[in-house]
Amino acid sequence: MSSLVSERRAGPGRIFGGLALPRLGATLLALILPVALVVLWQISGTNGSIFGGALPTPDRVWEAWLKWAFGASSMGLNPYSGTWLESVVFSTIRVAKGFAIAILIGVPLGICIGWSRMVAKVLDPTIQWLRPVPITAWLPISIAIFGIADFGSIFLITIGAFYPIVINTTHGTRDVERNWIRAALMMGASPFTVLRRVVLPAALPSIFTGLRIGLGIAWTAVIVSEMVAVKSGLGYVLWDAYYVGRMDIVIADMVSIGLLGYLSDWLIVRVEHFVLRWRRLQSFNA
Amino acid sequence: MGTVSITGVSKVYGGAQGVRALEHVDVSLAEGEFMALLGPSGCGKSTLLNILAGFEAQTDGVITFDGKSVRKPGPDRGVVFQEAALMPWLTVWQNVIFGPQVQGVAKADYEPRAREIIRVVGLEGFMEALPVQLSGGMRQRVGIARALVMQPKALLMDEPFGALDAQTRLSMQQLLLDVWQTFKTTVLFVTHDIDEAIILADRVCVMAARPGRIIRDIPITLPRPRSINDLLTSEFLGFKGQIMAEMRGAH
Repeated sequence: MSSLVSERRAGPGRIFGGLALPRLGATLLALILPVALVVLWQISGTNGSIFGGALPTPDRVWEAWLKWAFGASSMGLNPYSGTWLESVVFSTIRVAKGFAIAILIGVPLGICIGWSRMVAKVLDPTIQWLRPVPITAWLPISIAIFGIADFGSIFLITIGAFYPIVINTTHGTRDVERNWIRAALMMGASPFTVLRRVVLPAALPSIFTGLRIGLGIAWTAVIVSEMVAVKSGLGYVLWDAYYVGRMDIVIADMVSIGLLGYLSDWLIVRVEHFVLRWRRLQSFNA
Repeated sequence: MGTVSITGVSKVYGGAQGVRALEHVDVSLAEGEFMALLGPSGCGKSTLLNILAGFEAQTDGVITFDGKSVRKPGPDRGVVFQEAALMPWLTVWQNVIFGPQVQGVAKADYEPRAREIIRVVGLEGFMEALPVQLSGGMRQRVGIARALVMQPKALLMDEPFGALDAQTRLSMQQLLLDVWQTFKTTVLFVTHDIDEAIILADRVCVMAARPGRIIRDIPITLPRPRSINDLLTSEFLGFKGQIMAEMRGAH
């Protein structure tokens, strides 16, 4: 979480600190690199492609994207036409479901592990031992159990997002100021009340760190699982388009994934800023 | 109510060969008595307070509060911590009513009391502030209010003014004198400041380190009600001279 604070201190906005438009300045600075890359990519292509026809140039990608997003559905000639939103919705709902399950399991479990030495001794070794198994290695088991179905994808997302959430929640719970807990006990709080009213809020900054990392992994997991284990969503389209040689759709798909990941992270940061107002004040005063 | 009896209490950290933080401490507090535990850092004065609060268990000995053996923390012993230890995500008001709230006390019961105590400790107008927006002295006022609102039989104060600047410390001492004059609770006040111990307490117990023990128990007969102006009286200086001699002798 210190990263957020340091962002604020040394972030691009500060360079324009004396100016009236620090936000606009930050946006402009952030756009320099992507715009330069797109321009370079465009001018190094000829006849709409680079690398000897292996990849399309940005204008072709843009065209394909427009058709994918807004074109009329026409199953025969262009199966992608007008299906972008549908794919986005499929993938997003899967991420939302898998991520929600990961939170519902990961946060309470992390609090238990961080709170009780006994629970930590029982669960922590298993978690640490399963954690290095990448989500891709879970694919065969997932397909074997759930078949080519929605829940196979959700299962992989849950597994991927679960580890950073549970581990950060554990750390946050362990690091709670001892005197806050003592103060609550002194005021007559039951152990459960201490967990709910002291440990949970005190651990929230760490929990949000876990959520942000977990959400990033959730997007990786949804794409991987859709490429193999289901027949819809951005990951499915990505692999399908590659097979039929539609690299324009592949690239438009990649950009879409990036945008969705960015938007969902932005959403979490907004929620975090709202929930942790008390903490923002703290870092300004410090 | 609010009587404390400590008999033969020892505390050893880290096994049989560990640090002897307290060795065979015997002391008692009468109802409404203000006792200061005075000593250098590492003499075990905070350990003794933590055991009475129920935060730590003694290795040996018996400690009772109102005749009952102390096993865990509870609202009958309000603790004021060194750095206030307020919940930073709660406002002043929410911090103050935390105790009655979690105990399930009726709102109609605790709200008027909480408002009155907030007025007494001078926090009116800061009810919606977060702890981080307050100065150290103001935070400690919240810490005192949060303890008082539970109507504890004893206040256990662990160097509550130790981190404050000299001027704020004086005004907090005056505040505590006034508050005590109103509520007359039993107080165990841990400090390493000789002036503070004398001006506040009815009794100063001087502690020494390695092993932690009480070496002198000195009644302070300065008349009540007191004010920080009493720091300038010859009586005060008499007590100070006596305690300084005791502490020198202990080394």
